[in-house]
Amino acid sequence: MFKKFDLKNFGTDQLWNRIALVSGIFALLVCVLLIGNYIQVKKADPINMKVINSLVERLHKDPSDVKLREEIRTLDLLSRKAYFTSKWQIRTGGYFVLAAIALMVISLQIISYRKTIVPQLSPENDDNTMAYRNKTRVFIVTGGSLILATALIFAILATNELKEKFAVQEINEETPIENNSDLITQAADSLVLEIIDTTGTSNITIKHTVASAFTNNDSVNEKSAASSKDNFPTFRGPGGNGIAKQKNIPISWDGSTGDNIRWKTAIPLPGYNSPIIWGNKIFVTGANTAKREVYCINRNTGAMIWTVVVENIPNSPGQAPKVIAETGHAAPTAATDGIGVYAIFSNGDIIGLDMDGKKLWAENLGVPGNHYGHSSSLMIFKDLVIVQYDQKTSPKLMALSTKTGKTVWSTNRDVKISWASPVIVNTGKRTEIILAAEPFVASYNPADGKELWKIDCISGEVGPSVAYANGMVFSVNDYSKLAAIKIGADQPTVLWENTDYLSDIPSPVATDKYLILSTSYGLTVCYDAVTGEKYWEKEFGNNVYASPIIAEGKVYLMDKTGIMHIFKADKEYVSLGEPKLGEPSVCTPAFTNGFIYLRGDKNLYSIGK
Amino acid sequence: MKKSTQVALILLITSLIAFNLFGVQRFPRPEFENGYQQPETILNAPRALFFEYFDLAVLIGSLSLITWLILKKRSRKAVFWVMIFSLLYFGFYRKGCICPVGSLQNVTLALFNPEYSLPINGIAFFIIPLVFTLFFGRTFCAGVCPLGAIQDVFALRPVSLKSWVQSLLGLIPFIYLGLAVLFAATASDFIVCRYDPFVGFFRHNASFMMFAIGGILLFISVFIARPYCRFLCPYGVLLNLVSRFSKKHLTIAPSACISCRLCENSCPFGAIDKPTGAKFKQPSNVLVKKLILYCLIIPFLMAVCGWTASKYYESFAKVNFKVKLATEIMQSKNSESEVIPLEITAFRSSGNSEEVLFEEAKVILNRFYLGNWFLGGFIGLVFGLTLARLTIIPYKTDYTTNKGTCFSCARCVDYCPVKE
Repeated sequence: MFKKFDLKNFGTDQLWNRIALVSGIFALLVCVLLIGNYIQVKKADPINMKVINSLVERLHKDPSDVKLREEIRTLDLLSRKAYFTSKWQIRTGGYFVLAAIALMVISLQIISYRKTIVPQLSPENDDNTMAYRNKTRVFIVTGGSLILATALIFAILATNELKEKFAVQEINEETPIENNSDLITQAADSLVLEIIDTTGTSNITIKHTVASAFTNNDSVNEKSAASSKDNFPTFRGPGGNGIAKQKNIPISWDGSTGDNIRWKTAIPLPGYNSPIIWGNKIFVTGANTAKREVYCINRNTGAMIWTVVVENIPNSPGQAPKVIAETGHAAPTAATDGIGVYAIFSNGDIIGLDMDGKKLWAENLGVPGNHYGHSSSLMIFKDLVIVQYDQKTSPKLMALSTKTGKTVWSTNRDVKISWASPVIVNTGKRTEIILAAEPFVASYNPADGKELWKIDCISGEVGPSVAYANGMVFSVNDYSKLAAIKIGADQPTVLWENTDYLSDIPSPVATDKYLILSTSYGLTVCYDAVTGEKYWEKEFGNNVYASPIIAEGKVYLMDKTGIMHIFKADKEYVSLGEPKLGEPSVCTPAFTNGFIYLRGDKNLYSIGK
Repeated sequence: MKKSTQVALILLITSLIAFNLFGVQRFPRPEFENGYQQPETILNAPRALFFEYFDLAVLIGSLSLITWLILKKRSRKAVFWVMIFSLLYFGFYRKGCICPVGSLQNVTLALFNPEYSLPINGIAFFIIPLVFTLFFGRTFCAGVCPLGAIQDVFALRPVSLKSWVQSLLGLIPFIYLGLAVLFAATASDFIVCRYDPFVGFFRHNASFMMFAIGGILLFISVFIARPYCRFLCPYGVLLNLVSRFSKKHLTIAPSACISCRLCENSCPFGAIDKPTGAKFKQPSNVLVKKLILYCLIIPFLMAVCGWTASKYYESFAKVNFKVKLATEIMQSKNSESEVIPLEITAFRSSGNSEEVLFEEAKVILNRFYLGNWFLGGFIGLVFGLTLARLTIIPYKTDYTTNKGTCFSCARCVDYCPVKE
């Protein structure tokens, strides 16, 4: 009943040939039409048609024209339908082509399947092995040489500038203090600064025009060696956010035995401010009731380069204000932009010095009405010194010119006295100054001081500065709460808050994943920065006044006895070391590549080899 | 009119009617419907784990079957049908993904980026064909790879290419492999997948350019069998190298070759090595001299090519989306245009830091710098070894399959008069 299927006898070769021919022609036809249709679709822009746009313009002039409105809708619908119909046609046509080609191939394969194999022999003496090998070698050698020579010529001519340009962009982002535009225009000298890329394999040369302030050789050399990564220009690093970019930071030392201590220099006057660094110079300040001084120390040797006594300041009060011992008269950390160094003291004296200690300007901002003593550190934005002056009367945020000391802008703040320092961050969208003081955390445009946003979420006598990471601001204060604020939208929102562990002095520090918070009684806690879930807590047993800094994924937290607690910024607490300075310390560390700088009660230390 | 002509005409008329049907819809009448409901966005559910393992089972099953058919049954026709099955299953049903050719990039990415989680299927699809090749030759290429299969069905009028042309074009896959590894290792792009010329046919979806390239390659396949496999496939490079060590590789004759020369031109891929004869036997002192010469030339070639390639690292790095974005942001800052590209707006609205982006872009640039050195060095090595291979002629007395380039398709078997 059933015949065995035999492909060899299924249809004639002629039939399959014709099927192949017809399906081939059909496929070709559809292909041509598809290409035509594709070009049509490619040209069409259904949502941006000239006719519709002109009608829409007419409608804007007369919005009450209902008929025109309907006409536009009809046209719009038509153009969209035409577009999607064309798309559908392309898709359907594609299936037709596929089917036709499949049919053609099947037909041809059937013909081929039925063909008898006829071996074709080459001439008997056709042994060209050697010839072909020689020919191939010649082609490879000549062709390869030609390609290589061309590539070499272009390689020699090629200029690779991206890394260099990214480095400049990065510098501009992380330290909004370089390239003071006004100074640039004044510059007489054009210098070539070499920035050593620590992660790269080559040196990057960046051409900068810098201020003519660097005229002597020392300054030039100093500036030449400096890059943003080598510097630590403000309290808690660039922008004051507690993140250090430096690498190869030591994790072990002993101040009492001198182990891993490069040098140690006594600082004449007391001060709870932290060291700042630019190039080969470290700056700290010191003060008592009678005297205020700015010190410049050689970063490599520890030798005191210069000391400037801050005196004869116009309008400076004759008597120092009353402050508590834990604040002192030199609590605010100075700031530098590589062109000048700027320092403020408890009596409101503020001074601008050049890098050689020559006074640029000085004035008194008025004695701050502050019952503990002024402690907010200075920040720098471009050619502005940012001063938080949240005192008893007329609390405000000010920006002084780095060149003249004159007030460029001043924004009044309806807040209570606070001791927190400004934090300058680039959110990706803009640069903001963020401040915390009862009753709110607020952000300001550093260019003009205008308030960008504020959110009520903090109270009390605010000491800790905020931390920022990944679009989130973290504020905290004792007897208040820890708040994680999501910014970026028009109105910031508190994503999560917590009242279990609160700090009154150390500032928190954050990464994209973690928030590290230390309390002044020595308990440190790590949260999930996004959800607020607590990962771990650790009791160190000693009080902590210094703020933690994160460098290379490690947290450096100094307790009051001088023990540096080094641990991983991670989900679990992993201690990496607890080296001792050998003297008490309340200051936040500063870093350069391979070195850490710590200020104790009496001495400044450079640690590393 | 003959019956066959009638059939052909009916087919043509039916097709034209069908074509005319959608021609009418080219000009749809205006519609005035209201109350249009926006459809909800639906995301496809991930493929069930069972089917992932099923794919693996099909791969192993197909490889085992085709290996048995090639080595034991020595049947070209059976190989052809397995090839059709693979084309339908791995090609049109599984839409060409996951395939071992592309999986080499997943493996590379996982090796250089520990945070990338490579699925077990990815590793298995990469390793299993290599293991089969190590023991039995390139049976995967013979009829399991959908990319090879789609070209093979088009190989209707294959012509033999000159050996030197094959050798020259055969260098391209090595360069392509180097590039694929570089871009995968730097987490920049999967170029093998992006520029897969046939995946568009399997998915009925690709850019016009990719369809055009695929179409051209298939057309070329009619005359030059499997052009992608021979002159482009980066995975083929690995299979080629591994296959050289295979013990049970397909042989033209099941027993001793009688040197009848009937198979001489049977291979459309030019993968049959002819006997070289005694006249090409080189004295050992000549061979040693040549080896010493190449030992000196190859490191030099590697160094020059490495240095040259390293100079192009920025051009290569621009393929990486982070470097590209950082470049665009930098350019937009220096541009006076007020139009901000969408990519930059999207990045800024994400709240991510530009500083971090520039830092990351710099790290990627450094990786490319190093990677380009390796790529250049690798290309230099390939050129050097190819020259060395061409200089040193192996002594052969029989017609044998070239273990490296033979796809084990078993075409030659039908030409051999020795059947047992």
